[in-house]
Amino acid sequence: MNWNDYEAVWKRQELPRGADADLAELRQTFETKSRKMAKSLLLRDVLEASAGVFVTLAAARIWWRLGATGWPIAMAMALTMGVTAIFLRERVRAHRLRLSADAPLLAKLDADIAEVRHQRHLLLNIWKWYLSPLSAAIVIVCLTIARHRPYVDWVFLNSYFGFCVLLFCWVWALNRRVVHKQLDPRLAELEKLRSDLLAP
Amino acid sequence: MTTATASEARFVAWLSEHGGIIHKIARAYAVRSVDQAELVQEIRLQLWRSLSAFRAESKASTWIYRVSLNTAMTWRRDMATRMRRIEPGADLAQVPANVATPADTADEGEMLARLYAAIHAVADFDRALVLLMLDGLSYREIGEVTGLTENHVGVALTRARRRLGELMKGITDELE
Repeated sequence: MNWNDYEAVWKRQELPRGADADLAELRQTFETKSRKMAKSLLLRDVLEASAGVFVTLAAARIWWRLGATGWPIAMAMALTMGVTAIFLRERVRAHRLRLSADAPLLAKLDADIAEVRHQRHLLLNIWKWYLSPLSAAIVIVCLTIARHRPYVDWVFLNSYFGFCVLLFCWVWALNRRVVHKQLDPRLAELEKLRSDLLAP
Repeated sequence: MTTATASEARFVAWLSEHGGIIHKIARAYAVRSVDQAELVQEIRLQLWRSLSAFRAESKASTWIYRVSLNTAMTWRRDMATRMRRIEPGADLAQVPANVATPADTADEGEMLARLYAAIHAVADFDRALVLLMLDGLSYREIGEVTGLTENHVGVALTRARRRLGELMKGITDELE
């Protein structure tokens, strides 16, 4: 058997011509999926943005109650809004860089590799853009409140800080795990695919 | 005729003319028939969704190959991530065990099953190249679908054909 035999068998195979496609069903599936996807994307964006807005509003309320001397809370608000802005920027970026389904396979592969690298970079540096600003915001709010209290329960405050540190360490470890268990193998697979393909 | 109706008419005409492409790609990228049916539906959906992006800069069949192969590769990667059930080489086990006749006397159905089993065992991108080659596309057309230069298509195809030949030989030896 040689290549010509394979080609001959391949070309003689019997296939449905596509007449079995139900256009009405296809249109309905398309509309249902599109609606579902739009709804879930909107929900995700609103949740991410509203979490930041909610925390910022809560901080604003504390500042209002403390009066002018509570001004450091403005910094906490700025940090929280900064994190929200990064989330939103990522959404816009992903939408802008998404290739259409009719892109050449190599271009799609390159786009996939770039996206996985970017996600990997974001997750490995989560301390820089997510955990550090939020940690700083928490510390600022807590210390500003403590400064205005006649008595500070340091045991409670330190326990709270300890809990936050543990929580953030867990978030950091979780993200590293995702990088090593999911993104690294996926990146290696995509890069191997690309290098195999372009090997001389 | 409204634009939507014109699009629908074009879509139906394309499916009728090139529907076989979708089935071949689905069979090459999914092993189980239930997965093949799901992939066929997914490809049709993606074609329908991308229809407005068609600019007639390439032939309809080339465009259909591009959308279908991109969809199939993404579907397969998602499926592999979700279920870890598609592993390179695992599909060789799908060849019917009672196929024991020599390759040159085996009937076409068996030969086709072996060919698909071998195709399942090559890497995703090589699989796309083999499919395009078997369907008789020129180097230029394969280049349009894959984004490779014609020279590179030649090099990659030589490698993919050699690999497919080895796999076909392996399958035939295993069954004899």
